[in-house]
Amino acid sequence: MNTFEWTNPTSVAEAVKLLRVEQEGAAARDQDGVPQPLGGGQDILTTMKERITRPARLVNLKGIRGLDKIEGNARRGLRIGALVTLTQLEEHSEIRRGFPGLAEAAQSIATPQIRNLGTVGGNLCQRPRCWYFRLEQVVCLKKGGTECYAAVGENKYNAILGGGPSYIVHPSDLAPMLIALGASVVVEGPSGKRTIALDKFFTLPKEGNVRRENVLNNDDIITEIQVPASAMAARSTYLKFKERSSLDFALSSVAAAVEMDAGGTVRQARIVLGGVAPVPWRAPDAEKSLVGKRLDAGTLAEAARLALQGAVPLEKNAYKVPLTQTLVRRALAKVGGATTA
Amino acid sequence: MQQPAKKMKKVMVPRVVDGKETMVEIEVEDTGDSPKWGPNNAHRLLNKNITRVDAPLKVTGAAIYSYDVRLPGMLYGRILRSPHAHARITKLDTTAAERIPGVRAVTVVPSAAVVEGSQKATEEADKKNPIKVGGTAQPASNAVLKIVRFEGEPVAAVAALTPEIADDAIRAIVVEYQALPHAVEARLAMKPDAPKVMPEGNIKAASKSGDREKVAAAIAGCDAIIEAEYSTPTVHHACLETHGMVVDYRGGNTATAYASTQGTFTIPGDTAKELGLPESAVTAVVEHMGGGFGAKFGIGVEGKLACQLSKQTKAPVKMMLTRTDEFLFAGNRSGSWQKLKGGAMADGTLVALDATQYRLGGLGDGSQANQPYVYRPTQSYREVSSVYTNQDSSRAMRAPGHPQASFAIECLIDDLAAKINIDPIVFRKKNLPDTIYHRQIDRGAREIGWERRNKTPGGSAGPLKRGMGCAVGTWGAGGGPSCVVDVNVARDGAVVVAVGSQDLGTGTRTYTRAIIAEELGLSISDVLEKIGNSKLGNANASGGSTTVPSLAPALKDAAVNARLAVAGKVAPLLGIKPEEVIFADGKLSGGGKSLAWKQACAALPASGISARGAWKEPLQARGVHGVCFAEVEVDIETGFVRPIKMVHVQDIGLPLNRLAVASQINGGMIQSLGMALYEGRVMDAQLGIMLNPSFNDYKLPGTLEMPQLVSIIDDEDLREAVLGVGEPSLIPAVGAVANAVFNACGIRVRELPITPDKILMGMMKEERQKS
Repeated sequence: MNTFEWTNPTSVAEAVKLLRVEQEGAAARDQDGVPQPLGGGQDILTTMKERITRPARLVNLKGIRGLDKIEGNARRGLRIGALVTLTQLEEHSEIRRGFPGLAEAAQSIATPQIRNLGTVGGNLCQRPRCWYFRLEQVVCLKKGGTECYAAVGENKYNAILGGGPSYIVHPSDLAPMLIALGASVVVEGPSGKRTIALDKFFTLPKEGNVRRENVLNNDDIITEIQVPASAMAARSTYLKFKERSSLDFALSSVAAAVEMDAGGTVRQARIVLGGVAPVPWRAPDAEKSLVGKRLDAGTLAEAARLALQGAVPLEKNAYKVPLTQTLVRRALAKVGGATTA
Repeated sequence: MQQPAKKMKKVMVPRVVDGKETMVEIEVEDTGDSPKWGPNNAHRLLNKNITRVDAPLKVTGAAIYSYDVRLPGMLYGRILRSPHAHARITKLDTTAAERIPGVRAVTVVPSAAVVEGSQKATEEADKKNPIKVGGTAQPASNAVLKIVRFEGEPVAAVAALTPEIADDAIRAIVVEYQALPHAVEARLAMKPDAPKVMPEGNIKAASKSGDREKVAAAIAGCDAIIEAEYSTPTVHHACLETHGMVVDYRGGNTATAYASTQGTFTIPGDTAKELGLPESAVTAVVEHMGGGFGAKFGIGVEGKLACQLSKQTKAPVKMMLTRTDEFLFAGNRSGSWQKLKGGAMADGTLVALDATQYRLGGLGDGSQANQPYVYRPTQSYREVSSVYTNQDSSRAMRAPGHPQASFAIECLIDDLAAKINIDPIVFRKKNLPDTIYHRQIDRGAREIGWERRNKTPGGSAGPLKRGMGCAVGTWGAGGGPSCVVDVNVARDGAVVVAVGSQDLGTGTRTYTRAIIAEELGLSISDVLEKIGNSKLGNANASGGSTTVPSLAPALKDAAVNARLAVAGKVAPLLGIKPEEVIFADGKLSGGGKSLAWKQACAALPASGISARGAWKEPLQARGVHGVCFAEVEVDIETGFVRPIKMVHVQDIGLPLNRLAVASQINGGMIQSLGMALYEGRVMDAQLGIMLNPSFNDYKLPGTLEMPQLVSIIDDEDLREAVLGVGEPSLIPAVGAVANAVFNACGIRVRELPITPDKILMGMMKEERQKS
């Protein structure tokens, strides 16, 4: 990796200053070499070693106090510091009890070693895994090039929903689950704090800056994730499908959460898909189709169909449609208390 | 006085060149008095479970691999690779790299030093565009013209104070390429208008055999016919220690090469040539090495570059490849594409097979065992060709060519059995003339519980479907006369056995001690081994599963000679004849007397005794079988395959160390499971590059993928002889897993690896056909 300056701010304000890019304009902010924040380092270090990013300065956030705590419970909701590790999340007893899907999502990530270091903030901000993006010599759309090579190339792992002009899939496992739980992120930048609903945080390549995956500016830092108390949290789950159980990213995943009345009828539901679109993909029609229904086989099948409606597979990823439909059915069956779908 | 003429006899032995085995006839001395191992069940240490003697060193990290070698003043080397599949270098400027503080030398890869296989093509190109060969850094003004023929082809190398500086420096070398048309996919390379990968054309016919018309007529009369195409991708050795070596040369008269190699004695000659020294001036050291699987013979392009940099700087240079280098230019198992058409009768007779086999070895010829492999239909025809592409040359990899051939024929056999509705193992037994397979099939079937399998593929209820599959393999596994073993017994009782052989991680150190200890009536800890050094007795390179059958006979011979030498000195103390001395339980006894080992050794001369051993043909044998069974569970709604159990039954004659043999068999099953379900190089046809040259994207099976593994040593093989087991243990599992998937879900995937997308697409196709 290239040489870089290592900085150790002790406050968010100081970190924000260190992340500032002097030049104006989007081009300057996207150029290689701009300062980057470092949490657990589990993604940024790989991008640096692979020379996909060459930040001139790393801003180490781990010296900032107070960002590594989980507060709250199922009744009050959760406040999760951005530097909380995935292991903390996975092992937290209140989360396991009150937000089981969140613990499952954390546990599904990478390996124990990576979860011990990887942070919640870093997981939400990790860069895509598309192999064209990850290869040093390929200058794809996301690296300032003119072409998304996955559009016509080896696109087995790429997007079936919301793609174009880039067909990456968002790699975060926490994001779909947090969106299903209605979470927000607290972001601090030069002009202070703001709270952004997580389902407004990620940007589609056709709508936002194709080189980025979210709304953050260079000198913005996520400091906290807020998960509200919700009648759906207790019945939440995250199903992640990996080609290989040991250390792999999702080919497809489903975060689901429902609230049901005593008779087993759905009051409200959230379904968010991972691994199939450039952003965590909410399935509102499928969610609506469940309201007022019992989670029987027919309802599940219809929700699965609706969740994938509009899918436009590329040449080599049509399998993701039936795969994701299966996961939607199974996730709903699981939160509904049934054993099979 | 005239020596009586030596009595000679002719034997067939494997000759291994770069890991590829061919049989040659040689003459050896017929000594007539070869020692014998004795019955396989009568050993004290051998044929038992012996804990690996180097285990403590390895689990504590104390074992020194080439990767761990650090010498005073050592520089780190890095290699600049071509990012293009086919291009002409029009400019190469090393000035900026040389200016980086800490960079000590830059060298340009001479075009003649290219990776195996691309040499001929490159030479052709170079005739037209002569280039200045490296050795000194190329000045900016001196344009170097060189053709690169695959992504990853080494272009230049640097030596620097740290690996990080070296990494920066290779990126500071300015190379301008003029891209040329490439073909990285075999099917595209075979088209008449494809870019020429080789000057003589992209397809090279290798062999043809049989009468195709007779085969066609025979197939036409069959009750069941299967015609299908099978393909296997390029897969990688994935050695945990990458290729490379540390060259300790400081401009003097001698050099030492610490190499990660399968052949200690393949190193000094290559190294000496590069350094301009006599071969005897170079010592190769291979204390421990982290996997080779057929890819590590000779010093390779990385070793040549290390030598050049060392020669330029007069300093030791460590040139260990990065993981990306390893994927791109350090070898692979050739891919395959096979078109088979086979026919069988309703009674289970395999009648005929027509096979068109393509070996896909990149710039190399690749390898593939001939069809119909171990089966013997009445009629068969085959034609074999190599298809060249702009990818690095394949190299030997654990049973070169066999898993590809076994996978294809075993799938076809299974499909024919399903079509005529006969139990696949009954069908196999009917068509395998060698009855050793029959007993191994029965043994494996019993262990896996074959009677529990689906009678109809895909027949069980529910989305989670279990299935079982079976396949067989064959290998040579004999040895040859190359090892020289020395045993020294000191007056204080210390026993040292010395031979230059490397230990690939397969347990060479352990049986080297055990054979001597067994013969001398000692325990394992009473013997020390010295191996992995070219100044010790000669040994063969470890390729073709030849290490045990080449080395162990020489060890046994040396052990017997050492015993006789010790007995000769000690017998008078016991008042008996030397041949009457009994070596057991750490004592020498006979004639009603007994001496502890150390006491006895006090009778030895001051310099102790030395004994030497050589290869004895009758102590080894050739020809093994091997049967694998697999059970898997397929989730037909996600395509996920969960390996549940694998069983491998292997004949091996005398297993020197049952624990090591079981471990080898387990390793064979695991590597094969990877090929069946997870692994494969992915190329972008347009860009001509490999998309997954990392352990993140090239998916090796991990701990969570492991099924229950059952290694069964076929003790009904009563040969009192040693054989290799590394390769045979890998071959049949690929076909067994593929057949288990088919038996589970009824979907036949003929293109490896069998990933969830292929199963789901198969399910979708089947549903469309139903509706």
